[in-house]
Amino acid sequence: MSARPSSRRRQRSHSSAGPVAVWLIALLVALVATVQLRSQAEVERSLIQADPATLAFSIDQLSRSNDELEAQINDLTQRRSQLHSGGSAAADLALQAELDQLRILEGLVPVHGPGVVLMIDASGLTALDLQDALNNLAGGGGEALAVNDQRVVAGVPIVQTAGGVTVGGTLTPPPWTIVAIGDTNRLAETSDAMTQQLRGDRRVRQATYRVESDIVIRAVVTERPFVYGVP
Amino acid sequence: MGRAQPLSTALVALVALAVGFLLAGQVKAQLLTPSNQVGRNQALIRSVQDLERTNQADRAKIEALRAEIDALEAQAASQSQATQGLKNQVADLRAHAGLTPLHGPGVEVDMTSGPPGSDPSGQNRNLITYQDVQDLVNLLFASGAEGVAVSGRRITPLSAFSGSEGEVIVDQGPPLFSPIKIVAVGDRNSMEGALGDPNSLPSLRIREIQFQLTLGVRGAPDESLPAFDGSLEAPHVGPA
Repeated sequence: MSARPSSRRRQRSHSSAGPVAVWLIALLVALVATVQLRSQAEVERSLIQADPATLAFSIDQLSRSNDELEAQINDLTQRRSQLHSGGSAAADLALQAELDQLRILEGLVPVHGPGVVLMIDASGLTALDLQDALNNLAGGGGEALAVNDQRVVAGVPIVQTAGGVTVGGTLTPPPWTIVAIGDTNRLAETSDAMTQQLRGDRRVRQATYRVESDIVIRAVVTERPFVYGVP
Repeated sequence: MGRAQPLSTALVALVALAVGFLLAGQVKAQLLTPSNQVGRNQALIRSVQDLERTNQADRAKIEALRAEIDALEAQAASQSQATQGLKNQVADLRAHAGLTPLHGPGVEVDMTSGPPGSDPSGQNRNLITYQDVQDLVNLLFASGAEGVAVSGRRITPLSAFSGSEGEVIVDQGPPLFSPIKIVAVGDRNSMEGALGDPNSLPSLRIREIQFQLTLGVRGAPDESLPAFDGSLEAPHVGPA
């Protein structure tokens, strides 16, 4: 007597569990398929904006940047060890070395080293053209730059005036001889690309460069004291 | 009957599962070519992200090392007048090189790219480029800036700008994107005058009208610039 109802209950539960299981599984399948497809679509949508050339450029640039940062870390670590090693004498050596290095970087002393010499003869080139050229060289391994014997560091104004282009207030008309000291491999590569592009410009009569093992830049920048800024 | 029903239910479930996976597989197969491309791009993006993390960590390390060195030098300088004299000279040069923070009157310029699709030619002239940033920084220096920072990156005597479409790299990166904030400390009136001159920055002015780029300028009595946290290594150049 008691077996029947129990069997009926089991039968009822079997008959309702079947469709529920099927629905659950179907739901799961739908979920898996949807998640799979959606993640695919999302990845593709986000990557549409980043083209491989841009990504490759970023990788190249960041790799080189990180190498430069590593070199700076090594240099600073060495300097710290030097300072730890002993009092004022060690500090004097470290400070003098930094003083010399900063005078070079800020263009306050004559410098020498390997590099390239670019010659650009043209009419109608503007201050923007010269700024582009100097920026390309600075980004392409240039550590010290000069144009027509005028030392240039970032911050030296290159201005278009009625009389022509001025560099640090001095009229600097073409032809321009731009000297860049630095990594000659990178500078040669940059100069090659620059001169090729310049030769395609109608205003340019001549654009050439040569690599030299030792170049001297005698021109210096005059340090401007802070008038408004407070360090 | 009792055993047949669970079996059939399981069978239906299995068939549903198989159909689902077949469907998903089929649709995915349709996307095979783009998916491969996506895979390659994903690998490139992961590399960029890894390199950016390293870049960030290296900068933090450089900042910490410079602070530590400064403290050690100050300690040594407190014991010797000659050392103090050298330290003062270095401090002055560090300030001019952008290695220490700077504050004072100045201007802030917000450069923002135009909305996507505003250049119908597809040349993306609506985007802020590194040349735009370079032109603006040069204009600020030419009109009295004593220090400049681009989206928190301090400009140094060795600074250079590069980048590709819509991407601006200052020195050792990582890339910056619109909106870009340029802050300068110096002769505020002169800088505001230069920025307000309709003849300055011709390329930006034209694209402001054509492609809705925006250039917001604001003067302030006290702007602050951070110290440079990158590399100033110049291994190929020496004193003549």
